[in-house]
Amino acid sequence: MARKSKGRQKIEITRMSKESNRLVTFSKRRSGLFKKASELCTLCGAEIAIIVFSPGQKAFSFGHPCVDTIVDRFLSRNPQPNSGSLQLVEAHRNANVRELNLQLTETLDTLEAEKKKGEELNKMRKDSRDKCWWEAPISELGLQQLEQLKVAMEDLKKNVVKQGEKIQMEESNPSRFFAAGSSSMGGHVGGGPHDVKVSGLGLFMTPHGYTLGYGHGFF
Amino acid sequence: MTRKKVNLAYIENESARKSTFKKRKKGIMKKVNELSTLCGVDACAIIFSPYDAEPEVWPSHLGAQRIISRFRRMPELEQSRRMVNQESFTRQRLTKAEEQLRKQHKDNRHKEMTHVMFQCLIGEGLQYLNMADLHDLGVLLNQTMRDVDGRIELLTEAVLPQDMTMVNAMGRGENSFNAQMPSGMAMLTMQNQQPTRSLLRSNVHFNAQMPSGMAMPTMQNQQPTRSLLRSNVRPGLDGNVAYTFPLQWSRG
Repeated sequence: MARKSKGRQKIEITRMSKESNRLVTFSKRRSGLFKKASELCTLCGAEIAIIVFSPGQKAFSFGHPCVDTIVDRFLSRNPQPNSGSLQLVEAHRNANVRELNLQLTETLDTLEAEKKKGEELNKMRKDSRDKCWWEAPISELGLQQLEQLKVAMEDLKKNVVKQGEKIQMEESNPSRFFAAGSSSMGGHVGGGPHDVKVSGLGLFMTPHGYTLGYGHGFF
Repeated sequence: MTRKKVNLAYIENESARKSTFKKRKKGIMKKVNELSTLCGVDACAIIFSPYDAEPEVWPSHLGAQRIISRFRRMPELEQSRRMVNQESFTRQRLTKAEEQLRKQHKDNRHKEMTHVMFQCLIGEGLQYLNMADLHDLGVLLNQTMRDVDGRIELLTEAVLPQDMTMVNAMGRGENSFNAQMPSGMAMLTMQNQQPTRSLLRSNVHFNAQMPSGMAMPTMQNQQPTRSLLRSNVRPGLDGNVAYTFPLQWSRG
């Protein structure tokens, strides 16, 4: 299995020779550095300021509670007394940060799961490609294969349209289409349109319209 | 690197907090150093701890002052343009993560739909798809058909310039063309096509890329494409290259 990157490598701490590498490294490490600084502030109640200049001479800075107050404090050597109003603003900001961090963690976890799913889908596709010629990339197909594929797809398209129309009809005329004796709703016969949709057609409806049960129903 | 996952909240335990602070502060200083050296850029860090009135500074008090001066000499807009605090920084990270998630989800949906399409092409029923699925499937079908058409056009175009000479050669009964044909090529007569035309097409593109186990018969009179779709797969028999797309739709 081909890996996308080499993974973590130990590098020598000396100025990087390739400019493109320098720029990429700067971007990544700056972000990582700010992240570490932010964590230190949350975990230990530290106050930090970091200023870095990019290879393109742009100034990036991170500060908690804010760059300027920390810098001024450093320059003047006067420990700033924390006034009441400042503390209130602080507390509010900290609450926001907590909330944002929760959302961030959740999003990152979901992203991780989706990436994994993507890799599984890739593998599945790869496996079936070897077995089924019609799943190969179009550029690898011969002319008559393409023609066959095209005809099959046109047929499928017609059926998709037909099925779509069927569903729409059934949604607007529920009383005429419920399946008799369907027991998936506990013996429900008739009832509201919602019941018919589910029991009569075996559809899986979700808020986003994605069939959650779909994957298992097919293979 | 630690093995325990740290809960991102203020560490209540004083000694734990103090030791964490020491380690992480050291780590940050190391990282600033690395960033500065690897990328050959100016950088400084100032850390105030709750335990000390004196801040810890990198690279040095003097060095930091120099960099601060450089920073503060810039126009205000340039200073603040890329300035963040915890809140804005976290918000940026969140936005980026959400964008990546959106993209990944879209990607996955496309892959899923592609799989569905192929399943349906070989006979799986549509009854489990809701309107949104059907819509996406339709979109994917259209897109794929466009690509297939494009590819067909490309392959047919590629042969056109040679058409006349080849046709003439065939007409004169020359067999040189046949000698050029790779063995085992499948010939499929298209409806309403001259045999020579399909010969040429196959010659151009048909290569041994087909998976093993597939029939590779020599040229024969084939049934029209449409009926192929209804015949069964009989690889390696009488030369009928017949891959079926049985389009039976189970009435759910």
